[in-house]
Amino acid sequence: MKWSYMDHWRSPSPNGPIDQWQTYDSMDRFLKQVAAVGYDAIDTFDHRYFTIIDQYGSVANYQEFVQERGLERIVNTFHAAAYDQRNYAPHIASTHDNILEDFRVTMDRWSGIQLDNIIVMPATLYYDMEPVTEDKIKTTAELWNKVGAITLDAGVKLTCHHEFFCGIQSKEELDTFYAYTDPALVNLFVDTAQHCIASVDPVEFYEKYADRVTGFHFKDTRHQDLVGDYRRRPDAELMGTTTPRWFHEMGDEGGLVDFEAFMRAVVRNGYDGWLSVEHDKANKLGGDHAESTAIARWYAKNVLEKVAREEAAK
Amino acid sequence: MTWKRWSYMDHWITGTPQGPRQPTFNRNHTERYLRQLETLGFTGFDTFGFTLPIYASLYGSVPAFERALQDHGFVGLTGVFAAYPYATDFAAPHRRETHDRIFADFERTAAAVDGLAVENVIVMPTNTYFQVEPVTDETIKITAELWNRVGAMLAPRGLNLTCHFEFWGAIRTEDELALFFEHTDPELVGFFCDTAQHTIAGVDPLALFRRYRDRCRGFHFKDTQRVDDFDAYRTAPDAELMATGVPRWFYEMGTPEGLVDFPALMREILDSGFDGWLTVEHDKADLGGGNFAEATAVAKWYIDNVLDSVRGGAA
Amino acid sequence: MSGFRYSYALNQWRQSPTSFVRLEDHERAFKTLSVSGFRAVELWAGTGRWSNLGRPEHLRLNYGSSAGFVGRLAECGIDAVSSLTWDPSAPAAEEGFDLRSTSRPADHARILAAVDPYLDLLTELGCDRIVVRATEPAGRIGADLDVGAVASVLERIGSAAKDRGVRLAADIDCLSPLRDAAGIASLLDSTDPDLVDLSLSTADLVVAGEDPVAIARRHVDRIGHVHLKDSHFVDSENAYLLPGAEVDMLQGNAGRRIERWFFEFGSEAGLVDAAAVLGVLGESDYSGWVVLESDQSPEPATSAMLNAWYLTHIAAAGFRAAARTEEPAR
Repeated sequence: MKWSYMDHWRSPSPNGPIDQWQTYDSMDRFLKQVAAVGYDAIDTFDHRYFTIIDQYGSVANYQEFVQERGLERIVNTFHAAAYDQRNYAPHIASTHDNILEDFRVTMDRWSGIQLDNIIVMPATLYYDMEPVTEDKIKTTAELWNKVGAITLDAGVKLTCHHEFFCGIQSKEELDTFYAYTDPALVNLFVDTAQHCIASVDPVEFYEKYADRVTGFHFKDTRHQDLVGDYRRRPDAELMGTTTPRWFHEMGDEGGLVDFEAFMRAVVRNGYDGWLSVEHDKANKLGGDHAESTAIARWYAKNVLEKVAREEAAK
Repeated sequence: MTWKRWSYMDHWITGTPQGPRQPTFNRNHTERYLRQLETLGFTGFDTFGFTLPIYASLYGSVPAFERALQDHGFVGLTGVFAAYPYATDFAAPHRRETHDRIFADFERTAAAVDGLAVENVIVMPTNTYFQVEPVTDETIKITAELWNRVGAMLAPRGLNLTCHFEFWGAIRTEDELALFFEHTDPELVGFFCDTAQHTIAGVDPLALFRRYRDRCRGFHFKDTQRVDDFDAYRTAPDAELMATGVPRWFYEMGTPEGLVDFPALMREILDSGFDGWLTVEHDKADLGGGNFAEATAVAKWYIDNVLDSVRGGAA
Repeated sequence: MSGFRYSYALNQWRQSPTSFVRLEDHERAFKTLSVSGFRAVELWAGTGRWSNLGRPEHLRLNYGSSAGFVGRLAECGIDAVSSLTWDPSAPAAEEGFDLRSTSRPADHARILAAVDPYLDLLTELGCDRIVVRATEPAGRIGADLDVGAVASVLERIGSAAKDRGVRLAADIDCLSPLRDAAGIASLLDSTDPDLVDLSLSTADLVVAGEDPVAIARRHVDRIGHVHLKDSHFVDSENAYLLPGAEVDMLQGNAGRRIERWFFEFGSEAGLVDAAAVLGVLGESDYSGWVVLESDQSPEPATSAMLNAWYLTHIAAAGFRAAARTEEPAR
């Protein structure tokens, strides 16, 4: 069972909170902390490419920097696109050529290392897509089938991560999307908190599509969105009225995700890939990324791995 | 009307290379703190008795620290807060055998502020509730004896002894307060109205002010979002930081969901003829990612933009 | 070959008076340390209801009993309380803010009375080490330190401790008038090795201008405790003699305005050779604790994780192996 840590990080500096990409020193400290508590690898965002080229010369060089600090490799990259209905919107067919070209360029940029997955949010923000219709989802699916072919050519799986505020987030929308996408080309990346917020049970959802799942973000939430925050303009993650902080680390006392049940399902389905931990915006309300990362790894080691062994022994 | 006498109670945490610390971390941080308060327009400064030696160490003496305050536009050191939150063999106001020792502490405090601008010596009159209970008429009367005695010592020195009641202290209900004030001399033992503490304890601070206006010597203006309706006041060893489910009780004025009606209180103050200091306090404002500087600025914004518009005579 | 164990000091989690009070905050620190590979923690004595791991009565009140505390630690993956640090000269409300000095014989009886509740606590916690600050800062004592008086009270505390199965290690910090090699030697020469050990504090030695490796070699037979931390600076101007050195020197109020002296391992400016110190201990019979610290760090969790990384990859290949590998109790 191997754990990877997804990129999100803030630490204090004399200039205020910074992320790990500010300097070599901040990256060095980040990677050492992740390694020290027992993660085996990291995930990142592919828009980090430009910083990587500036600071490390190449993606392969950066991965070496990672490896020198005791981590195995970079497992996944998240393609955080800036969706724009004029030129970059999966449900608008006229923008597809632009998107396909973006993925050809991206895969070329990252060809220096072997990634497992490139992760995407497969739809625009909900309010940019609504009314969400079957036709729009079908158009969206057609795009990702084509993108999946491009990434697979590069040896990388395309996998979809559904934010609670994106245009494909309800159970019905998800079912429609996966019905129209090719299982050989379009995979699923289950973010436990995001689905929970969207009132989709992550365990049931995972069980249903287990054979298409190529990864996870293990993170928790204390809230479901029951007031339509998923449609909030301009931003749902930071400006929702439900809470100023949606995401918490695993093991959180008020957390809604049943991680033990989730882990049992992961084992039952024979999943043998990487497990990613994410702490998106963990510094809100006085939180601390470093501590959250340690606590989550503690929970993985002392609770989930034990559950996994029990389940495997059945 | 614009109230001229706003003071700031000395709670503050700031970022240092060693993490979040009090401004007394060193003189540079203290100076930065005073500049921020000066910018916001506070002219009074209240501090804790136990902080006086630290300021003396940083500035050479307590009077030298007061001169530094005056350089920043303050009239000086206006109040000193003293407390024995935890009952020990040495300090327990409901136990007579500790009174001499407490009295001696206040003689030292009075000496330390002799000749300064200090008007109020604010005291937490009891220990934690859970250490005193059962709270009886007897415990309250013994406590009253102590503060009458301390008040009589302070009054000739031009210092008002005034009592500030925590929601977790051993005098907290309306009846307990009434009994305490009945047994203390109005000339020697004042009332200090902390808007949040009383609200948490389920006592209306406005009604208290109306009742004890003649002996009210000052206020802590702070807010809360929560009434203690689950006996949190008895939490051992501490109710302010360790109450189940409530990591933070206190907020600055103007907080959403705040329970204190500050404009109504302000109107009452204007009508009453009270002419003392109104003090802004932000106890533990850093909890949950809060920030003292910002909380203080937001509270002063509320004063300048909301409370200053309040007119008397409308009640 | 020695068989020393690693522990981590909790002191820096309490950065401000109101921090590190709630039990869930304690739990987060325990889990952070456990998953970083540390299986023991060091407590520190304090005062007041918010220093609730620093007073025996508050610790028992919070966790029901000492056993309750040990049980909670175990649930978080912490096997032991390695040690407790105590400063006899620190005033505590619970002791009536008594001002005491190890150098004043008239204070010794009160010092012995004050340590007693802590020795009881350590016995209950199954902890066999108390680390006692040998003296208050030089600037407070003045020029005339009676080393014999300090030695005498340390021996008496050591004897009381020994009766409870606890050993005393004398902590000579960078503000102590005994901070240099001669001072350390004088105190050790004046004390009974059966009652008083040395707590080797690597960063404090560096600040005092001493080589911790040399001091470790010289007194290896007297080392009973180790605080392994780094410093970037040497107090070359004797700022420790300032009357308010705790603020003037260690918080940058005067002199060179250095606002942080102590650091986690792994930064370029670090002056302590941790591997060499551990090498000296490894070649000796030392079987006590090596306690790392986040002292003065703005990010205690981060510093703990970086210290763990440094031990694992640079200074102590056996660090992870030394950490217990089986699961903690749940």
